[in-house]
Amino acid sequence: MTMNRSHRIVVNWGHLALLAVIGSVIAAYLLDTRATSLRVNNLLFVQPAALIGLLLVLLVVPQCFRRRPAGAEAEPAQPLSHLAKAAGLMAALVALALSMERIGFDVATFCFLLAALRLCGERNWFVNLGYSAVFTAILIYGYGTIIPFPFPLTIL
Amino acid sequence: MLDLASIQGAFDLLTSSASAWVFVIPGLLIGLFFGSMPGISITMAMAIFLPMTLYMDFLPAIIFLTAIYTGAGFGGSVPAVLMNIPGTSSAVATTFDGYPMARSGRHNEALGVALAASVTGCLASYLLLLFLIVPVSSVVLKMGPLEMSAVAIWGMLLLGSLSGNSLPRGLLAGVFGLLLGTVGMNTAGYVRGTMGVPWLLDGVPTIPAMMGLLAASQLIGLVNTKYLIEDEGSRKISFAKIIGGFRLSLSFPTIILRGSLIGVIIGAIPGVGSSISNLLSYSETKRNAPDGDSFGRGNPKGVAAAEAANSSSEGGAMATMLALGIPGGGATAILLAAFATHNIVGGPSFIANSKDIVYAIILSNFAQALLLLGVGLGFVYLAGYIVRVPMRFLIPSVLVVAVFGSYAIDGTISGPITLVVFAILGWAMVRYDYPVAATVVGLLLGSLVEGNLLRTWQISGGDPAYALERPGALLIFALMALSIGLTAWSARRRRRAAIPAAGSG
Amino acid sequence: MTTNITRRTMLRLASGGVVAAALAAPTVLRAQGVYPDRPINVVVPFDTGGYNDRLSRAFAPFLQERLGQPLNIINRGGAGALLGHTYFLQQPDDGYTLLCTSAAPYIPLNILTQDAPFNLEDFHMINLPSQDYTLLARSAESDITDIGEVIEKLKADPGSLSIGVQPASADLVNLMLLADANGIARDRLRIVTFDGGGPARNAVAGNVVDIGLAGGQGFLPLAEKIKPLLVYEKVQRDGWGGKLVTELSGADTAFVYGSQRGWGVHSSLVAGSPEIYDTILTAVEATSKDPKVIEALTAQQLATDWYGPEASNAALASTARVMEQHLDLLKGA
Repeated sequence: MTMNRSHRIVVNWGHLALLAVIGSVIAAYLLDTRATSLRVNNLLFVQPAALIGLLLVLLVVPQCFRRRPAGAEAEPAQPLSHLAKAAGLMAALVALALSMERIGFDVATFCFLLAALRLCGERNWFVNLGYSAVFTAILIYGYGTIIPFPFPLTIL
Repeated sequence: MLDLASIQGAFDLLTSSASAWVFVIPGLLIGLFFGSMPGISITMAMAIFLPMTLYMDFLPAIIFLTAIYTGAGFGGSVPAVLMNIPGTSSAVATTFDGYPMARSGRHNEALGVALAASVTGCLASYLLLLFLIVPVSSVVLKMGPLEMSAVAIWGMLLLGSLSGNSLPRGLLAGVFGLLLGTVGMNTAGYVRGTMGVPWLLDGVPTIPAMMGLLAASQLIGLVNTKYLIEDEGSRKISFAKIIGGFRLSLSFPTIILRGSLIGVIIGAIPGVGSSISNLLSYSETKRNAPDGDSFGRGNPKGVAAAEAANSSSEGGAMATMLALGIPGGGATAILLAAFATHNIVGGPSFIANSKDIVYAIILSNFAQALLLLGVGLGFVYLAGYIVRVPMRFLIPSVLVVAVFGSYAIDGTISGPITLVVFAILGWAMVRYDYPVAATVVGLLLGSLVEGNLLRTWQISGGDPAYALERPGALLIFALMALSIGLTAWSARRRRRAAIPAAGSG
Repeated sequence: MTTNITRRTMLRLASGGVVAAALAAPTVLRAQGVYPDRPINVVVPFDTGGYNDRLSRAFAPFLQERLGQPLNIINRGGAGALLGHTYFLQQPDDGYTLLCTSAAPYIPLNILTQDAPFNLEDFHMINLPSQDYTLLARSAESDITDIGEVIEKLKADPGSLSIGVQPASADLVNLMLLADANGIARDRLRIVTFDGGGPARNAVAGNVVDIGLAGGQGFLPLAEKIKPLLVYEKVQRDGWGGKLVTELSGADTAFVYGSQRGWGVHSSLVAGSPEIYDTILTAVEATSKDPKVIEALTAQQLATDWYGPEASNAALASTARVMEQHLDLLKGA
């Protein structure tokens, strides 16, 4: 177990986290399925598929650890601002999905567009406000006329 | 086979009520428009316009509804190519190569290929139907669970070929999708993995999950790009290039014919249809193409294979509906309802007694396919302008349309929540080089695979000798083995041919 | 002449479009007046294309003529109608939301197996015109002669025939009752589970399973491809001619009806706003009995017979009781 001193182990924490999520979802699903019933009618496909899935997770885990010569430059990572923007956009999406029924589709959509346009680089607030308002109205009335469901609205 | 007197009768029917033709173009436009809106299904479009047909005569009513069907079938490929959004599950394989083509500035070509493959696929399927309606319908009911398992396993072969750079990661993505596809109540009535959420009883909502995995995750990853197509010169909307795509598509007759055949046969099986046929056709084409490695990176053959199969599934579904009176899916259920309002009940006796009406429907669909060519060209040309919209407007707008579309599917918040969860998952998977397409395919196949393996086990009592009683299933397995064998053989021959060439160069 | 026809058809098209648009337009709150003074929603707890969806869409144009306000069909499919039923009860009980559903077996199933947040008493059925029954059938290609042969074979070896059925259904309950009555071991039957009545029927017609049990009305389009062996009814229905379950096992034999489909409202509406309830009741009754409606719906193989609230609610309650007795059968095969 002696480590070559000229090499360093680099851990890709993000990848490891994704694998942890996938692995625990598969494991939890397998346990839930076994808790429902142990009859073949229930386990026939899910149990072997889940076991294969867990095996594949174990096979991929080593790919999260890479050796790199000590002297080598660190890989040019993506600029943090890119990650921050993507995270912001995902947060805005989550907020939209969770709030649309509570505060009305019109208000939620408008707020999402406002925030997302800013995140994606629209600096002019007048353009942003105008576009968001017009697009929200088109969307509400457009989808409103063609889908057979009502949706909660606050202002429109 | 062909009954000339009935065909003559069909011509008389079609020419006698000229007013029927008024409805084709509005129907196609409605279909194109609804089909291209994410989340609006073909069934929904037809259900909304069904009450209107009560006031029409039989033939115009059917022509109008089938025109919506045809239009919506193609409509779904427009957002698939331009936005990576499969608005319906039948356009999944279209995104695999259509979207990469669009991003590299070949959007005109991709849309042209898609349109031409759709039109020819649709034509070919109705042509096949003209001859095969009776045999196809007799095969459909014979499809037992073992045969369906064979079809599902054939579809799963695609998981391997979508694996990308790392086989374990690709397989993991596929298996994860398959497992997610079995969440909810299984075919024997056991409920798993719902975490107490009532709407998960029916499984993970497929279309929102696909939109999240394929489209939303992409858009989030593009947050720093200025335009969908980086190169300004490529952002042109060119009629000539659409036509170029057209010609390109027609230069793959084998692919389109194979796609149409797969589409008709799979489309005729109730409850399976176009969502599986486009995957099978793509998979077969990819495996048999000499340039199979470039699939998934913008190969027009992939677009042609997917579109030929999903458009021709309409013909297959119509065969089952006309010959057996069984709706294979929502769209044909609506058509049957429209039939019924005019006192016409589909089924074996309908085919036997009303051949002229059957042929009239088939012939009018030929005309619809040809008209789709014209209407579709205009539609595609206009839709192409999306590539000129700066990403800072496009990303938020498309995300919000996807959220609305996911809500529109059943009018509950389950759609948007699924979309967001899978958007985040998809973004992370793309970031660490997992093929999200494999997860999508798994998700689509999961319950099909489980349900049919389970029924096979139930029906056979676990006795493998049951397979010997099912020659149809053995035939499908043999064809599958043959197809894989041929691929391996031709790949080896290509490699051998390549080695001396490399040596001499 | 041609242009004339064309113009007329175009006008029809246009008016239909207006109706479609009006039906789907976002609801606007208006001043309260005499009921009904605004469009009425009809909740269908299934996706577009199914029996209830077709029934509601075929019936709605006639019912809205009598009510004087457009009816707006809302499909809330999913989770065996649990989502749609819950959604319906969440709407205000002001008579502006009606329900068109397969009350049995879905409301009892929601309550018994899915921990539904409601009781049977929360629903009041105005009329359940469609009462389906289980049909036990074999493929036309099979050589089984009659139900007697089926029972004999199953008695000798319960696993000798493959039986296609939908899990957690009235059909499965009826199969088990038949097994019990003849001393056949339930857990040794070779049951093949399908995701719905339709796939089970197709499997019977294609001779994929030896016998199958599913709703009889859905078998009608396949009549030429199957042979009926046993009808779970007291009287012959739809001209099948198979043996009746009462002939086989006696007049007092236990069995359950299949889907009971039709129109319902909130129970609280009946007590809370009797005048509004009366308006709806009268309109549904008159529409159901209208010869024009009967003709139109019969053509689509949809039922419009009038049984009224008393008989409909009683039938539903009795089905719910039998289902409760066989709860173990409804929880996974």
